[in-house]
Amino acid sequence: MKEGGLVCSALIVAGMVLQLAVGPVRWDTMAWPANIIVLAVLLLGITTMHMLRGKVQLFRWMATLQAGIPAMVTCAMLTVLMGVTRQVPSGHVPMEPIGITAMLSFWPFVLSYVWLMVLVGMVCMTRLCHPSWRNVPFLLNHLGIFIALVAGTLGNADMQSLRMMVQEGKTEWRAMDARHRVHELPVAIELHDFSIEEQPRLSYVSDVTVYTKSGIAVRDTIRVNKPLSVRGWKIYQYSYDEAKGSMSDISVFELVRDPWLPYVYLGIFMLLAGAVASPKSSPKGKDLNGK
Amino acid sequence: MVDWNDLWLFALPALICWAIAAVLSLRDGRQKPVYLLTIGGLLIFGTYIALMWHSLERPPLRTMGETRLWYSFFLPLVGLVTYSRWHYRWVLSFSTLLSAVFICINLLKPEIHSKEMMPALQSPWFAPHVIIYMFAYATTGVATLMALWQLFRKHGDLSAIDNLTRVGLAFITIGMLFGALWAKEAWGTYWSWDPKETWAAATWLCYLIYVHLRRCRPAEVRPALLWLVLCFLCLQMCWWGINYLPSAQGVSVHTYGN
Repeated sequence: MKEGGLVCSALIVAGMVLQLAVGPVRWDTMAWPANIIVLAVLLLGITTMHMLRGKVQLFRWMATLQAGIPAMVTCAMLTVLMGVTRQVPSGHVPMEPIGITAMLSFWPFVLSYVWLMVLVGMVCMTRLCHPSWRNVPFLLNHLGIFIALVAGTLGNADMQSLRMMVQEGKTEWRAMDARHRVHELPVAIELHDFSIEEQPRLSYVSDVTVYTKSGIAVRDTIRVNKPLSVRGWKIYQYSYDEAKGSMSDISVFELVRDPWLPYVYLGIFMLLAGAVASPKSSPKGKDLNGK
Repeated sequence: MVDWNDLWLFALPALICWAIAAVLSLRDGRQKPVYLLTIGGLLIFGTYIALMWHSLERPPLRTMGETRLWYSFFLPLVGLVTYSRWHYRWVLSFSTLLSAVFICINLLKPEIHSKEMMPALQSPWFAPHVIIYMFAYATTGVATLMALWQLFRKHGDLSAIDNLTRVGLAFITIGMLFGALWAKEAWGTYWSWDPKETWAAATWLCYLIYVHLRRCRPAEVRPALLWLVLCFLCLQMCWWGINYLPSAQGVSVHTYGN
């Protein structure tokens, strides 16, 4: 455990140095194809370390609880720190010199989670080498969090989340990102009518036709909790002219494209299956990784 | 049509049932009345929740007061399951006491709110998300009480605490992931590191650490028990603490109805 604590302390120090040297983590540089290259390097690294575990004691140790627990404690501490500090909106610069108000771009935070995921990857490799039904709940949990977290993090830069404001009777194909840059999209929305339904339940409803470049036109209604999916884009009811209320003649949509989402969902569903299976699988059997 | 004023009509008989069951369970032998009385109390209290659901025309899950109803309901249930599984004679007394505390809070401060629910909460994910979390809170709550008991008493066998925590963790996991799937449907992002989500992640990690620590160092009882208390404090921060946390003011999407 002590070694694990030392590695994590070293990571935090290294992270602080990086933070001072190059500034916060630039997640936007992770966009395609950088993310797939990083993923390949990560998987290759984990596989190589796993194959060399017979020769290098460090790699053997990385798949143990003695390495994992300090890593989890470090991540938990930094997450609690994030919970007690007011965070700036994503993409903004931190409002103090250290960088903890933009925790997701804070190098020690990022390095700690990367380290934890490398360890989880290593332990998954160990179990994958001993295929057995007994390992299924373990792999659902560990591989599940690995896939969900890695795909979610690496895919984040590829996710486009744009706001589009459409007037009644007009067709719009331009949308704005979080930094107020205008993008021209391959989909266009024509708003026929925006209304606020009060019966049977309060709901904001937009009657729209969505056009795509390939010439498809879809007429449908979009409500809160009822997004419309067209060609990889999910269109959410986001807002309206609140000053005018139900008389609003504009509707604001959030358009989201997230090509890595299926992998995140795969991880989430593995975790769900693991959660259902785990409490039954008693840990009384011999632990493969404990000393 | 029932409302908060009718709570005592149901809560009092339910509590009497649970209290008698708790007293009976302290003695050896006759177990049948313990089960019958606890289940009877659960049915009475469950009826009140069902009637509230009916008269509010939505699941009673939105306000703190409403979620406390579920907590009061699940505590004796988890207590009974624990009792039947591991035969801890004092567990029903604990769960009844804690349930009574939450019922009293609701009787004194019912937090009456309107029927209306904001559109984002009108989702089929809403009820399972909160009910699963309430069950997890009850399970981990009982585990924490048992941990405190063990900390002040002689240290004994932790298997019941471990099992309760594992069940609680499984439910926390499911509740959290349902929340993520719901957020994706409602807002377009499954995880936005909103203060509630940040604390949910921290809580989840803390319970994961407990489970791993127990496997790694099963002989070290005291640190594990202390860590479990810490986990529960983290959970409280996630459940209601962030409503008072300066860093979370005005930025959380989870503060509806305040």
